[in-house]
Amino acid sequence: MTITKEHLLKVYQDMVLIRRFEEVVEKYSKNGTIPGFIHLSIGQEAAQAGVIDTLKETDYKFPDHRGHGAIVLSSRPEDRKTIMAEIFGKKTGINGGRGGSMHINDLKVRNMGFNGIQGSTVVTSLGTAFASFYNHTDDVTVVFMGDGTLGEGTCHESMNMAATWKLPLIYVLINNQYAISTKYTESHPQEYLADWAKGYLVPSETIDGNDIEVVIESTQKAIERARKGEGPTLIEMMTYRWQGHFSGDPAAYRPQGELESWKEKCPIKQTKSKLMNIYGISELDLDLIQRKTEDEVEGYLQFSLASPWPSTDDATSWVYSDISVEGRK
Amino acid sequence: MNRTITFAKAINEAIHQEMDRDEKVFIIGEDVAKMGGDFGITSGIWKKWPHRAFDTALSESAIIGLSCGAALCGLRPVAELMFADFIGVCYDQIVNNAAKLCYMFEGKASAQIVVRAVTGGGIRCAYHHSQCIEPWLMNIPGLVVVAPATPYEAKGLLVSAIRSNNPVIFLEHKGLYNKKGDVPEELYDLPLYESKVVRKGNDITLVAAMSMVDFALRAAEDLSKEGVSCEIINPLTLFPLDKETIINSVAKTGRLVIIQEGPKFMGYAAEIGSMVYEDIFEYLKAPMKRVTSLDTPMPFSPGLEDYVMPQYADVKKACSEVMSF
Ligand SMILES: Cc1ncc(C[n+]2csc(CCOP(=O)(O)OP(=O)(O)O)c2C)c(N)n1
Ligand SMILES: [Mg+2]
Repeated sequence: MTITKEHLLKVYQDMVLIRRFEEVVEKYSKNGTIPGFIHLSIGQEAAQAGVIDTLKETDYKFPDHRGHGAIVLSSRPEDRKTIMAEIFGKKTGINGGRGGSMHINDLKVRNMGFNGIQGSTVVTSLGTAFASFYNHTDDVTVVFMGDGTLGEGTCHESMNMAATWKLPLIYVLINNQYAISTKYTESHPQEYLADWAKGYLVPSETIDGNDIEVVIESTQKAIERARKGEGPTLIEMMTYRWQGHFSGDPAAYRPQGELESWKEKCPIKQTKSKLMNIYGISELDLDLIQRKTEDEVEGYLQFSLASPWPSTDDATSWVYSDISVEGRK
Repeated sequence: MNRTITFAKAINEAIHQEMDRDEKVFIIGEDVAKMGGDFGITSGIWKKWPHRAFDTALSESAIIGLSCGAALCGLRPVAELMFADFIGVCYDQIVNNAAKLCYMFEGKASAQIVVRAVTGGGIRCAYHHSQCIEPWLMNIPGLVVVAPATPYEAKGLLVSAIRSNNPVIFLEHKGLYNKKGDVPEELYDLPLYESKVVRKGNDITLVAAMSMVDFALRAAEDLSKEGVSCEIINPLTLFPLDKETIINSVAKTGRLVIIQEGPKFMGYAAEIGSMVYEDIFEYLKAPMKRVTSLDTPMPFSPGLEDYVMPQYADVKKACSEVMSF
């Protein structure tokens, strides 16, 4: 499949936005302004942008812990600054600063949030897929999961049930080679993790997760199947995270030269050269996109920095839906 | 010979020395072998014993299940769960398997495993990386819950935990890893099921565990300037609890403040309080007080997390209320 020039340009912009967003988050995490642990998705932009691009707003999305990109692209443009403010822990954050980087949800676009317990969303996503089936809607569910997370028992329970009941669920398995320091080949027997779906009779494939056209094509096929009631699909997207597990992890477990070889396969660089060489778009135009994106993200940053902290009342609200919890006296 | 080392190093040393002594001991968990653990606690072990250190997939149920099975064959697994919050994933193996094996096998075999887990708040990691899971485990007869506060205690108690034939949940508070203290280089053990009198005093008893012990020590210093003498008790083994040391202390001072990180309701402070009321009510000169976290999940934003966790000001306030009752 080849996608149109306009379409490719659009997802190129999406990827540039993720990259820039992550660069700014990285800078402010490293200088100590952003508290806590940050998991960056630099290098994995095509998998996130390509998948989100194929979904409609009412489809259910479960980003993972390395999911800033999918979260930002799922959101409405006017809300994007509040996503960054959330990562800064500010009151104006999309979840009031209570969740931070790992726990960003946005129900109006059906971003169902991440749960810090790996493998948890892989079963929660069964429920949203089930609701579509129960309510006779054509909304599909996409759950992002990592190569390491596949070790959790919940993944097996989820796939068994989704396959048996033919639920509209797409497992996006981001194989970025590592779970913290552990290479996927050292914790799984399969050469292709996609093979793991075979036991559940779930169609699956392993694709180049850095080629956004391939990502879009494969996701579209899976979504079509799901919307037609034919059940789940698993797509293993081969990619690489350029940073360590969390921002600040020196990633000493990676063999020399591995990062550099993956940088050669940078999804943004690949798309850029396609746009220039096949579609004849000038470098100047692409630079303009870059600069506009930088300005855009600078706006999110300034908003986040200028925003107030939450007030202590925000800690005790919404523990329950109906009753309140006591604060400090 | 004593040297000053960190809490993290003390744990590392205990595992090294026990593995040296007993070849039935092995380590298992996510990233514990080649990388030496997410917090670096098991560094150097895989290098020395490549066949006794095992990295796994993200599979907590399998890690604990395997440990229980291996223990039934006489091995001594030291499993790491990384963040204690992840215990939910293998809760069944711990509660319905490990905790009951000794009883079910009438003592002929048991889950002689150690489950190391990093507990507590304070690092801005929100809901699923900050909880105090102690009470989740303290209603389960058969489990042992150990919670050291100093490097010296960490090394000696972990050695005893590894040698114990019971399933021991060994809690390492993340706020303590860089804490330094004197630790003998030689192998030694400290008794399980014994509370420690951290500081002797006559007027008020402060009970505190893990990072809360520092609050108690600070309060004791401050109160001593006002002429109040504090006795500080650290349970060390939270469950099964050494009641006697606490009861004896409160019988002497007549006053009790318990400082406990984690939600108030059904925390161990509640158990210690009711145990004192039940046994020595007539000795009390004032109602006891609890200083705890709020009954909420742990929020991310720094100001919110601080608000939810116990604060030193609350400790001071509780002590003066008890003293002036
Ligand atoms: C149940 C559980 N176990 C362990 C962890 C700690 N942890 C967080 S991310 C991670 C590695 C995940 O690897 P993978 O699924 O490949 O995703 P990646 O980080 O590579 O994006 C681990 C072990 C956790 N959060 N939850
Ligand atoms: Mg991975």
